[in-house]
Amino acid sequence: MESARPQDDWQTCFTQLGPALLLFARRWTNCRAEAEDIVQEAFVRFWRRQHSIENRALLYATVRSTALDRLRSDQRRARREAAVALDGAQHLEPQFTTVDEGQRMLTAAVERLPNEQREVVILKIWNELTFAEIGQVLEISQNTAASRYRYALSALKKILQPHE
Amino acid sequence: MNDFSELETELKKLRPAPVSTELLARLEHALAQSAATPTAGLIPRRTKRSNAWWSLGLGLTTASALVLVWLAFFAEPPPAPPFVAPNATVPAEPLDRGLQPSALTRVVYRQHDDGLIFSPNQSELPLRRVRYNTRETMQWRNPQTGASLRVSYPAEQVVLAPVSFQ
Repeated sequence: MESARPQDDWQTCFTQLGPALLLFARRWTNCRAEAEDIVQEAFVRFWRRQHSIENRALLYATVRSTALDRLRSDQRRARREAAVALDGAQHLEPQFTTVDEGQRMLTAAVERLPNEQREVVILKIWNELTFAEIGQVLEISQNTAASRYRYALSALKKILQPHE
Repeated sequence: MNDFSELETELKKLRPAPVSTELLARLEHALAQSAATPTAGLIPRRTKRSNAWWSLGLGLTTASALVLVWLAFFAEPPPAPPFVAPNATVPAEPLDRGLQPSALTRVVYRQHDDGLIFSPNQSELPLRRVRYNTRETMQWRNPQTGASLRVSYPAEQVVLAPVSFQ
């Protein structure tokens, strides 16, 4: 049973969750404006249905379904975005606020990860979801989510190894 | 996972890019619109009150249907009125409940001997059949009121008596 919540504190919730939601939405687009559109539509849908903000898995699942719906609604754009995703292309706009060279290298390493690994890392590190919740969002098993996370960290370590 | 703890710490130090003020403004506008027109684009969650009324209506309908089925198939029909023969001459109530039997007479006015009767396979002894034509008279009397009732009717009695040969 979801707990009640005040109706006028959406700004507090979104200020806290918005950056991570936007980061997650960038999985389907390399355009920040489109990612913002996805997040806006998903958050409005989630908020209007009066779900508890504690139900993070449902919130991220809403973002994911919204993104997929938008991709399906525009096949040409979908093909373009899928091609970008499969190629692991670099995102044109920064997804993190970096302060030093080490963080910029780490950011670059994260963006080089395969999509299915990067989204697990995003949900685990910056959204603090459990593997069970990640599995629920991505419609995969908990073990698969954990495996992808381990592969991602191994890949990051390998990428960063020569620079350490 | 201990191998990755340092890496995880470094990753957590990264801060995702903040959302733009434009997105906040758009969200505020969208949520304000949705509050004004709650059915625009999305289906609002039903309130518990409407669910309760819907459930109450369904429950009453089901109960009514069950009552109708019970009345149609299981309820006992109303008791039928007692059957009275259209040409009955016997009164529904006895003339006098205080009547008591007072006399019984049987007068034999004719006796006729039919002779011996043999069984078809001769396995049993022969029987002598005798017919008696009688008139029997029964009488009732009420000792309190002195009322009396007498009934007389003819009767025939057949007696079969075994015959022994010596």
